[in-house]
Amino acid sequence: MKKSALAYCFVTLVLPALLPAKDAMTDEQANFFERKIRPVLAEKCYECHSAQAKKIKGGLKLDTKEATLRGGENGPAVVPGRPDESLIITAIHWSDKDMQMPPKSKLPASVIADFEQWIKMGAPDPRGPAAVAGANDAADSWKKAEINLEEGRKFWAFQPPKHPMSPEVSNKAWPKSDIDKFVLAKMEEKNLVPVPEASKLELFRRVTFDLTGLPPEPEAIKAFMQDSSSEAYARVVDKLLVSPRYGEKWGRHWLDVARYAESSGKDVNLPYPFAWRYRDWVIAAMNRDLPYDEFVRQQIAGDLLPYHDAVDQSKKIVATGFLAIGSKPHNERNPRQFALEVVDEQIDTLSQAILGITVACARCHDHKFDPIPQKDYYALAGMFLSSETLYGTSNAVQNKHPSDLIDLGKESRMIAGYEGISADERASIAAKVKQLNETRDEKTREAMTARRNGKEADVFKLLVIRQQTGDFMGSLNRYDESGNPRVLAMGVYDRKTPSNSAIYGRGEAAQPGETVPRGLVQVFFQDTPKPIEKGSGRLELAQWLSSKDNPQTARVMVNRMWRWLFGRGIVGSVDNFGAMGEKPTHPELLDYLATRFMENGWSIKKMVREFVLSSTYQLATQHSPQNFAADPDNTLLWRMNARSLDAESLRDAMLAVSGKLDLNPPEGSPVCRVGEGHEGIIKLFQINQQPSYSRSIYLPIVRDQVPEGLALFDFANPGMVTGDREKTNVPSQSLFLLNNAQVQSLSDAFAQRVYQSAKDKKTRINNACLLAYGRPATPQDQRAGRDFFSNYSFAAAKSKQKGADISMHAWSAFCQALLASAEFRFLN
Amino acid sequence: MNSPIQHSDFQIPNSELPVPNFPFSRRRFLQTTSSGFGFLAFSALNTWAAEQAAPAVASPLSPKAPHFAQRAKRVIFLFMPGAPSHVDTFDYKPKLQADSGKESGRGRGGSATLLGSQWKFSRHGRSGLWISDLFPNVARHADDMCLLRSMSTELPNHPQAVSSMHTGSSQFIRPSLGAWTLYGLGTTNENLPGFITINPPLQGGGAKNYGSAFLPAIYQGTKIGASNPIAQFQQRRGGSAQAAISNITNPRYNTDAGRTQLNFIQSLNKAKLAQEGYDPQIEGVIQSNELAFRMQSVAPEVMDLEKESAATKKLYGIGDSATDGFGKQCLMARRLAEAGVRFIEVSFGNWDHHRNLSTALPNNCGAIDRPISGLLTDLRQRGLLKDTLVIWGGEFGRTPHAQTGDGRDHNNKGFTIWMAGGGVKGGMSYGSTDDYGYEAVENKMSIRDWHATLLALMGLDHEKLTYRYAGRDFRLTDVSGNVVKEIIA
Repeated sequence: MKKSALAYCFVTLVLPALLPAKDAMTDEQANFFERKIRPVLAEKCYECHSAQAKKIKGGLKLDTKEATLRGGENGPAVVPGRPDESLIITAIHWSDKDMQMPPKSKLPASVIADFEQWIKMGAPDPRGPAAVAGANDAADSWKKAEINLEEGRKFWAFQPPKHPMSPEVSNKAWPKSDIDKFVLAKMEEKNLVPVPEASKLELFRRVTFDLTGLPPEPEAIKAFMQDSSSEAYARVVDKLLVSPRYGEKWGRHWLDVARYAESSGKDVNLPYPFAWRYRDWVIAAMNRDLPYDEFVRQQIAGDLLPYHDAVDQSKKIVATGFLAIGSKPHNERNPRQFALEVVDEQIDTLSQAILGITVACARCHDHKFDPIPQKDYYALAGMFLSSETLYGTSNAVQNKHPSDLIDLGKESRMIAGYEGISADERASIAAKVKQLNETRDEKTREAMTARRNGKEADVFKLLVIRQQTGDFMGSLNRYDESGNPRVLAMGVYDRKTPSNSAIYGRGEAAQPGETVPRGLVQVFFQDTPKPIEKGSGRLELAQWLSSKDNPQTARVMVNRMWRWLFGRGIVGSVDNFGAMGEKPTHPELLDYLATRFMENGWSIKKMVREFVLSSTYQLATQHSPQNFAADPDNTLLWRMNARSLDAESLRDAMLAVSGKLDLNPPEGSPVCRVGEGHEGIIKLFQINQQPSYSRSIYLPIVRDQVPEGLALFDFANPGMVTGDREKTNVPSQSLFLLNNAQVQSLSDAFAQRVYQSAKDKKTRINNACLLAYGRPATPQDQRAGRDFFSNYSFAAAKSKQKGADISMHAWSAFCQALLASAEFRFLN
Repeated sequence: MNSPIQHSDFQIPNSELPVPNFPFSRRRFLQTTSSGFGFLAFSALNTWAAEQAAPAVASPLSPKAPHFAQRAKRVIFLFMPGAPSHVDTFDYKPKLQADSGKESGRGRGGSATLLGSQWKFSRHGRSGLWISDLFPNVARHADDMCLLRSMSTELPNHPQAVSSMHTGSSQFIRPSLGAWTLYGLGTTNENLPGFITINPPLQGGGAKNYGSAFLPAIYQGTKIGASNPIAQFQQRRGGSAQAAISNITNPRYNTDAGRTQLNFIQSLNKAKLAQEGYDPQIEGVIQSNELAFRMQSVAPEVMDLEKESAATKKLYGIGDSATDGFGKQCLMARRLAEAGVRFIEVSFGNWDHHRNLSTALPNNCGAIDRPISGLLTDLRQRGLLKDTLVIWGGEFGRTPHAQTGDGRDHNNKGFTIWMAGGGVKGGMSYGSTDDYGYEAVENKMSIRDWHATLLALMGLDHEKLTYRYAGRDFRLTDVSGNVVKEIIA
């Protein structure tokens, strides 16, 4: 009795707090309903208790809030705050023999507990009076009703960008452009004041890294500081934009999105020796500022576009490498399943990369959150099943799906990327293949005979032969008759006979259903788009993706650029603008930028220029307690976000300041030269032990084996579309910077450079700071430096290097400290 | 030392540079606080920053309270990639022995013959668990072991099943079990990473099996040991390269010189932090540097097996060529567990015995039997077994029928995993497969059930351990999974 009295007290005291006013439902409560309650109602109850039920049982409907509270013939199903009085609880407990629900099987105890908890909370129910199957309302995604495209089209991301006028602002002096007006207007609404602009030196370091991925050269710093004209900064920006280093930085951004890698990843991880050709195409496209619409078109259907000559045609074919470099399960046994996996990877990548919509979620069922029916997925799948994806690799025990490569021929005027062999060598490989084929035939006959006689066949020998043949065929295919290297590329071609895809249940090859015509994603069109009749449909897809009528293409790309320059997208979830993605923080600005991008002829460089010339970009990273209190995440851009250098910039900067950076782009890739088969990757591992002084974008990117110096600093996972790299801060990074032998060797070179740059310690310290931080040493740096040198000689007296040149070691340790310091690793 | 690099033209006297808008501005700093300058100011500022935004700077690795009483404080997962045969090891099938050689009606072509185990099974311990003679030493721990004989997984392919076992998903990149654990519980040793994986296989998904996916990267597993294919290959052949954390030792500077250098780095960082006013990223760098430095002094010692007595090494089979490699990894696991690491995974060998079962399987079992037995004995002796959960298993099982005469094919519908310590009932066998071992028939346990149960043992409710990503609350167990309470002591 005592216990229940206590419980009663608890209820009376606490209940009011648990019963919020009608409008005060918290996100957590709504979330609780969406996660725990609605799915169960939809799955277990709606069949008999909803407007869609064939026959509503007991007069009870549970598909709207009102109906649930009203209840059925026996009374209210739910009494908020009173589980004991709620019939639904009685029913799901199966305690009343005449009312056991759901009738087929009792719900798990945890689910029953959820319902009780929900009712105790006051039965918060965010459902409207009549549930609408609109994709806008993510909450309705659990409903089994068909996707309503009409409703779905109303979602902002499926609406064309508007042409918003730039808003009025009170502070007329601050904005340098319309971008700034959009940003400032939001700040003024909240009474925020932007922090002062960054110092000239900070800004110079920032923009040099952002546009080229490299630190500013001391000479350039000097020139910039001496140029006091108002055009000084714009001139610097223009110079950086035409530097070949720009394409190496901005190309790498796109390679993140294109999940670029030089191996198959997944299970067997075979090398893709010609992926680098796509990488080089991307760098060149960025450098020559290929308009983004054309950039997209070529990657989806470069093989189908008109061309002037073989050189032009070859480049466009290389662009389709975008579709071929994805990870693939090469040891999948079922060929149809393999084809479906390849296509899925292609749809997933291109829909996220270009549309910012996760179409691949509709592979196994209608999209749960966005208005993408499963049918649309297979309409696209038909296009890719009607295309042949060519990625190379040779037949092997673990590789059930080798493919050809595209031979671009000498007329492409592209390099092969590897050395030729003599005609004799080629002939001897051909002879070996012939001989292996004969042996194989013989062994196959023997094995069949053995089986007929009920004996064990020597399958193992056959496997060995298959492997060897694959290896030799792989190298044979690389050379022409005379042993010259072929100019090979990955890419995509149309198949001779296009065909439509079936809808595969759960995405499995074993469950083909109804066939759907090839076509585009319906929700983007007011009327149902015409089905594709000729060809794979990739050309139509490419044209639609790159069209000004596509509401998303420009938006998604300007948002990516914003993310790459400001550290956070206007839509934070840069690869997903759908119902489950984030909402834009500045929707008008986003639309303005999207339309501006198209007006600028889809020029990425023009947009980048506008971004970096804005006042918004030129703000300091300075803290402001008032602004921070109102907007701690800086979503309103009252300051510049301090960002860590990306992995490539960090490595390239270490090479640059130590004077070791080799700016000549290497030819091809080491992956191309190690040869075919899994052996190749093992060899590659040995090659990678050698230091490389090339820019990081040229390092071989093997899936699951990203070079340590990159992997440790949040390099994009090459298995997935990555528009927003992670930002980590872990001890393994510190260990790398403190203890890695290559970092120490670069520090030696850095120290030599600094040591020889001047005769006295003060100037040397100053020059070291100038190289590493892009600014001269402060008095405090000088003091800290002097302290370090005196402490160091004391420590070194007991150190490992007795008799070594302690002063050079000290300088190396000093320089390494700068490389490991936060100021070097971060961008203000 | 590298050869000197000539930069004769590289001299910019300081005086030539105008410094009107110099980024390191005392003024700016002094505007934001009313305190003085230098380190004194830094510490004041730091307090201020901490007061302003304490949650932002709290370590994501700090110990967190479990959802309910915790039975296992840490996990040692002995992972057997390639899928060991259950019917030859821990799932005794007398009818399979009896019908050996008969047509199974299954297999490719449907004509495969049943293959009884060629190894004898006996009852062990007071509980009388049936265990194969391939594990004479492990069998002595029968009364501590809980055999889960009704495991099943979705797909009979290695990579998908390995991924499913480690992350709950065969298709997508999801956080691994260890990362979820660390996210849920934090870690108690500030000098070591909370999740360590020793010699993870490169294939079958590689890093994603100990990755953090969308969870903050700090929860990802730290890989130690042979990471390149060559060393791994050697390791498979019984080589026993000492596992190590990469860059853990400084090849050049001793502790004093290194500390002097780090003090200088930290003074630069603190000055930078003071200048910025408030910056959790720089604070993060300062903390990581300190943990890294502490790891340098602690990790090599924790990982130094020479600290162990000859008797202990012998217990693990170290020094004996067959068991040396895995013995060292198991001993390492115990040392890490003892040092407070939350989740330790150790992988061994390749169990994909399509052929040569009669020789390859005993070789593998022989290499791990003594080390595992040693681990269990050692944990018990140190009082650690009661709250250390030891798990043994592969990604699926193998067919009761023969393949290539002396081998078995993949079988995802029924297999065995066993667990010991950490709050599981010992001397117990849970669930069962059919008479031959094809499919789990009684108390079928999916990977999600298993995950739910593991989390429950660690005091975590698998439905409450969620992380919001891309607008959705994700769980290790997605939308299913039941805790199997019957096996919890």
